[in-house]
Formats: sequence, C-alpha cells, structure tokens
Amino acid sequence: MSLALAATVGVLFAFGTFLLLRDDLVKVVWGLAILSQAANVYLISMGGITEPTGDTVPVLAEYYAPFPETADPVVQALVLTAIVISFGMTAFALALSYRAYQENETIDVTEWPQ
Amino acid sequence: MADLFVLALAIALPFLAAVFAPLLYRLLGETVGYVGAVVAAVCFALLLTQVGAEGTVSTPWIPSMDVAFRFTVDAFGLLFALLASGIGILIFAYAREYMHGKPDLGRFYMALLAFMGSILGVALAADLVALFLFWELTSVCSFVLIGYYTDDAESRYSARMAMVITVGGGLCLLVGILLIAVGAESVGLAPFDLAAILANRGAVADAMRAQGVFLPALALVAVAAAAKSAQVPLYVWLPGAMVAPTPVSAFLHSATMVKVGVYALGRLRPLFHGPEWMALVATLGMVTMTVGALLAVLATDIKELLAYSTASHLGLMVAAFGFESHYGAEAGAFHLFNHALFKATLFLVAGIVAHEAGTRAIDDLGGLREDLPITAGITVLAALSMAGIPPFNGFYSKEILFEAAWEAAVHGGGLLWLYPATAVFASVFTVLYSLRFLWLFFGPRPDGLGPVHRAPLGLLAPPAVLAVAVAAVSVVPGVAIDLLVDDAASATAVSHVEIHAGIPTSLSGPVVMSAITIAVGVAAFPFYDRIRASLERVRAATTLVHPTVGYDALLSATDRASGLVGRSVHNGLIRTYVWWVLLSACVLTVAGYATATTGLPTPAVAETPVALVLVLAVAVVAAVAVTTADSHVTGVLTLGILGFMVAIFYILASGADLALTQLVVETLLLLIFLLVLEELPAYYGEIDLLRAARDGALSVAVGATAFVSVLYAAPDGAGAPTPTASFFTNNAIPEGGGANIVNVILTDFRAFDTLGESIVIVLAALSVLVLLTMRDRGETQ
Repeated sequence: MSLALAATVGVLFAFGTFLLLRDDLVKVVWGLAILSQAANVYLISMGGITEPTGDTVPVLAEYYAPFPETADPVVQALVLTAIVISFGMTAFALALSYRAYQENETIDVTEWPQ
Repeated sequence: MADLFVLALAIALPFLAAVFAPLLYRLLGETVGYVGAVVAAVCFALLLTQVGAEGTVSTPWIPSMDVAFRFTVDAFGLLFALLASGIGILIFAYAREYMHGKPDLGRFYMALLAFMGSILGVALAADLVALFLFWELTSVCSFVLIGYYTDDAESRYSARMAMVITVGGGLCLLVGILLIAVGAESVGLAPFDLAAILANRGAVADAMRAQGVFLPALALVAVAAAAKSAQVPLYVWLPGAMVAPTPVSAFLHSATMVKVGVYALGRLRPLFHGPEWMALVATLGMVTMTVGALLAVLATDIKELLAYSTASHLGLMVAAFGFESHYGAEAGAFHLFNHALFKATLFLVAGIVAHEAGTRAIDDLGGLREDLPITAGITVLAALSMAGIPPFNGFYSKEILFEAAWEAAVHGGGLLWLYPATAVFASVFTVLYSLRFLWLFFGPRPDGLGPVHRAPLGLLAPPAVLAVAVAAVSVVPGVAIDLLVDDAASATAVSHVEIHAGIPTSLSGPVVMSAITIAVGVAAFPFYDRIRASLERVRAATTLVHPTVGYDALLSATDRASGLVGRSVHNGLIRTYVWWVLLSACVLTVAGYATATTGLPTPAVAETPVALVLVLAVAVVAAVAVTTADSHVTGVLTLGILGFMVAIFYILASGADLALTQLVVETLLLLIFLLVLEELPAYYGEIDLLRAARDGALSVAVGATAFVSVLYAAPDGAGAPTPTASFFTNNAIPEGGGANIVNVILTDFRAFDTLGESIVIVLAALSVLVLLTMRDRGETQ
C-alpha cells in the first residue's frame, strides 16, 4: 500500500517544485497548492491506511470502552488544520499576485524591477 | 570541600558587574574602574577561602546529555584563578588612571569584567562543554578589547585576526573534546565530566587508543592550545593584539588569556601523558620559545618586544608541560605563576613609558632612570626575573625547565639532545632582549627624547605591588610553593612532585646550561645592534614563510570564494534561493537516511485496494495536466480535479471530516482562482530548455526524496495505534464529551492550536483586504 502512496507523494512533490520555479506567478501559486496537497497526503500516510469500514472512521458509535481501533485521529487533526491554513495561504498568495500585477503590470517575475 | 555557592558567585559576579558596567559608567564616570577593582578583589577573597579545599561540585545544565556546570577546586585551577583575579585588581586600578579621557569606557569595562568572569570559569570548570564555553568567551572578550579603537583600521584587522585564529583553535578544541567524550563514554563515565575523566585517565586513554581517537584528540587539543597560547605558527595574532590599550595587553595578552592554552595542556597532560605527547608538545614549545625570543630581539616597539617575549615564554611553559618527567609539570606550573607576575609588571611599565615619554619606539627611548626612578627600580626586578638571572623567581622556574630538558635528553639520548641545546639557544636571546628592555632606563638618553613626566601614583602603584610580589617570590620562593604551586604542579603530573627553588649549590648539567646562557647573553649584549641587523637580514630573506603572509592569503582566498558563492547562490532572485534551499534539504535528508538505515524497505504491493490506486492515479494525471496546461483556466480546472481526488483519497483513508473540509475548500479556491484570473493577463512563460532541465533535475530530486521519506516513515497498512492516538481515542468521550475524536482534539484538547489557526486565517483575510482595497491609501505615493 505504501508504495502507491509514496509514488503519488513523490510525483506531486516533483511537479509542485517544478511549478514553484516558473516565471509565471500564477504557476508559482499552483505549485504552492500542489505542494500543500502532497504534504497532506504524506501526513495521512504517516497514520497508516487500511480498508475503510464503519469502525475505522474516528467517530465513536459506542459511548463506552472498549473503543474500536480507528484510523489515527492525530494525523487527521493535523491535516484538517493544514487544509484550512493552506487555503488561507493560497488565497493570500493569489491576492498578493493580483496586487503585484497591479504594481508591475506583468505577472512575469523576471520582468520585475530588481 | 569545595563550596558550589562560593565558586558560582566568584564566576557570576564579574558577569553581573559586566552587565551593569555601562550603567555604572553613566552614574559614576571613570571611577567605575575602581568598581572593577572591588569586584576583582571580592572574587580574589572568595577564591582565597577555597585554598586547601579539594573536590568537585556540580549543578545540572543539560541533564539529557550529561552536561552540567561542574566546578572543581584543586591547586592548579585555584592558582590560575587567583592569578587572574589578583592581577585583575591591579589592572582595574591601573586602567582607572591610564584610560583617563578615553571614549567608550562603559564597553571597555564591560568586556574586561566579562573577560575576568570567563577566565575564572575556564580555571574552575570541570565539565568539558562548560570549559569550551568559557574558553570561547575569553576569545570573544579579547576580540572586543583588541578592537577597542573601532575607528582604527589596524585595530580592526588585529581584532579580526585574533578572533579567526583563537576561535578557529576553539573549534579544534570542540572536536577534541568530543573525541575525549567518546573515550569517556565507552568506559561508562559521564562523557563530559572532566574530573571523572582525569580520575580514570588510564582507562579513558586506553579506550581512546582502542577506538583510534587518541592521537587525533591529542593533536586537536595541541592545535587549540597553540592557537590560544600563541605557538608557532599561530603566534601572529599576539603582536597584533598589542594595538589594544596597555591594561588589556597586560591582563589578557600576557598574564591570563594567552595562558588558557597552556592551562588546558597542563590540565589534560595526565590524560595524554606519553611519548607522543612529548614529541608533539615539547617540540612545539621549544620551537616557539626560540622563534619568539629571536623576534623579540628584532622588535622595534617596546610592546612588540614584550609580545614576542610572551610568545617565547608561553613556548617555555608549553615545552615544560610537554616533557614527560615530573620536572616538566613543576616547570610549567611554576613558570605560569612567575611569568604572570613579571610580565604583567613589564607591560604596566611599558604603559607608563608610553604614557609619560609619548613614544614606544625602542630606538627613541633611553636613560629613563633619571625621569622615572621608581619605575626603573621596578623594571630591574621584573626584567632580571624575565632574563632568568639568579636569584630572581624567573631563574628558578627556568632552571627546572633546563632540568626537564636535560632529563629527557639523558633518558632518550640521540636527537633529544636538541631539547637542552635549543633551550639554551633561546634563553641566550631571552637574556639579550631582557637587558635591552632594561637599557631603556640605563642606556644613554637619545637627543630626540622630549621631557618625561613623573608617573602618577595610580599608574605606579599596580606595577609596584607586582614587583614586590616578584621580589617576595624571589627571596622566599618556599612560601608560594608550599601554599599553591607545589600542589598545582601535582595536579598536572602523573608522578610525585616536589619543587626545589633556590640557588644551585652543586655543579650539574642544568646548572651548566644556566651558566652558559647567562654568560653568553651578557657577553653578547654589547653587540646587540649587530646581532639585530643580521637577524633582520635573515627575516628579510624569509618573508615568504612568515605566517602573516599565509594568513592574508587564506583570508583573501576565502573572501574571493565567498564572493563567488554569494553571486551564484545569493543573486537576488527568490527562485535561486528556493532552488538551493530545496537541494540542500534533499541532500541532508538523504544523507541522514543513508547514515541511519540499511537499505530500502520493501512494501507489500499486492494489498493495495484498486479504488485507492485509481484515485491516486487520477490525482497524478491531474498534476501532470496542471504543469502542462496551455492556459490559466485549464490549469485551474485541472488543479480542482487534483483537489477533489485528494478529497476522495481522504474518504478512502477514513477521514470523513477531512473530505468534507477539502471539498468546501476546493470549491472556494476554484471560485477565487477564477475571479482573480479574470483580472490577470494570459501570460504564459516560454520555456527556456536549459532552465527547465535544471529545475526538472531539482524536481526529480525533491520527488525522490519525498518518495523515499514516505517509504521509510509510513507504516504499511495500519500499525498498532500510537500512544498519543490511543490516548485521544480513549479520552474523547470521558474528557472531551464528544464522539468525533478529530473534532474533540481540535476544539478541546488542542483548542489553543485551533485558536492560533483561526488567527492565521483572520490575518490572511485582513491582508487580502489590505492588499486589494487599500491600494490607493498612501503607500503608492
């Protein structure tokens, strides 16, 4: 299972990095977005993934111990935070790009005054 | 028994005073010099209460690594600490007068006080890490004090040179310490506990030999000591350090800081004791003793003469500690004591001469005994002691060094006879330059020398006190020896030590050596100028091998290299920074895996559910499509596909909340992207093939690193739940009152984190608002 995950994370990181290094500012923002997605998948894979069943979702149906063994709730909490933060970051990066375009009248970073 | 409170107070007090020095300077003006003297006196008194005590006290610092503030009291450490604080009293009192009217005295006294605290720390530390820390602190204080005249280019050059050499040596010490710690740990000791290491020195040395780190550690410690104590070829910073005000030269660069290296050699001597030690350290010391003495004869400035003479005498101490016999330990410890007394005196005298005659050039000075009679008397005592003329204290310790060299030659024979020969050769020049210094007072008065004023009491009293100490040790050496020096020498020796100081009564090899030294030195003195001229010719012929040349070449090469690296790595384009940062991160990560693990893990491929593979494959295809999209809109839409695929992946990974959040966020982002893109031009960067290839290579490296990281870190299938996960599962309902564990973590157990997250989102929203709507409110004007 982890081989498929590892391959996906690796490919996403590679494309995200490539986009991050482009001259087109919109592509740089895309790169950021892909890198966040890849990091989230990476984090989830740290918890270990099994076939989903009613019990593996970390929402407890039984209110009394012993509780069933669920998917790792810690990584899910981390990723939930990360999704929201990366949303804020991407939105901010977009606004910044727009403002940069207003100031410099181009979204090609190589044409900006140094 | 040693008292932790007293020791900690003695070390902390100067640092505390240093913190308040600038404030006190504002309140009291130049009188703050006397405050420094009082602090030094209190430290001195505190340390005096520990005389006769033995033992180690400690308080934890980094318990997980067995690093502690351990302080040990023994005669050797106390001798050094008492010298530093005792001479410190006189230096502060002298500085009050000498530094009259100079700028920035708050900073000056701050550095001087901090230096005194550091040196006490070095002397008393029984933990290798603490020792290193205090050692480096003395270098930093020395840097600040040498660079006291910040507007003067020479001052800055010398300060930097001292910093580069002594701190570079400090790094060697750090590595040496780690190697010693390796040895200590393998015999079950706390790795940095110097007192325990010395107590079990045989076992530690054997363990270090077995692991092959004994010789490297020995060499590194020797290099560190050579850098700090101005040994060949690292002595070049010491003459440069003479640009500092004279109290600094007397305190740091003759009596204390430069002895830190010698002190460390004495401390570690029992651990490294053996033939390799003698071959390296004794030879190093002997060469320095000779080179320093020759350069001192060549000097044209009185402080330069004293600086080279200091290097030469440091060489004497290093050589002494290098010899294997018990005479070595005796000569090293005793000369450490004697040299501090007479050399600090001579530096203070040099300060008086420069202050009152207005020049430091040796050829412009002479006949000062009529103008400065008391100073002349002081100089007679100190200079004859430096020359090693009986019955002065410098003679006693030098005589023991001759015995050590003689003993080594008699035992080893052959080439080892070079030791006594070199010792005599160097000492002849010592006699020569000592007499030359004395000649400033008793030689003819040059015509060009203007009026010379009497020295004020504030300048005269400190060297007078030191001269009285020189005289006292000369007349009754037994008192100082019985009180401290004998025990101090024992701490550096592996066999029984008993120092005999006195006028020799029977003829022996070392006595003959002394006789030759003095006779030749005195006989050659009338030809001083001719000797100097021929030495000058030798120096002129060998400028290429002068260490300053090497230092300058090294520095300018480093400068050029860093300029080149700077231009390629730090070229002002953020893209370039990202490129290098990511590459370094990958290299470090992979190197970490390579050293910590053996081979790649082999995951079970067959168990992967088809649905998961499909979803991940679509996500990958989407990522490819984003990268190759031929318009912004296509790119954003395919980015949306990637996001939704990740949402489905969350469902397959049992993350219901994650999937919901991801769906909302992706929808919102898609909208925002489309809204913004409408305002942006349809620029589409042309691909430069070379750059694409370079970025592609980095991308592959990053991807490969991420791939390997997941393989190493992710469990294949569900492992046993971590203790943290079990804790949250079991406590969600009883403690948090909610069945959705993820929600309970976010809103209850880690609520403050969530608060922080909300603040981030609010800040992002505010920033977006500011960026988009407040453009015309002032910033663009």
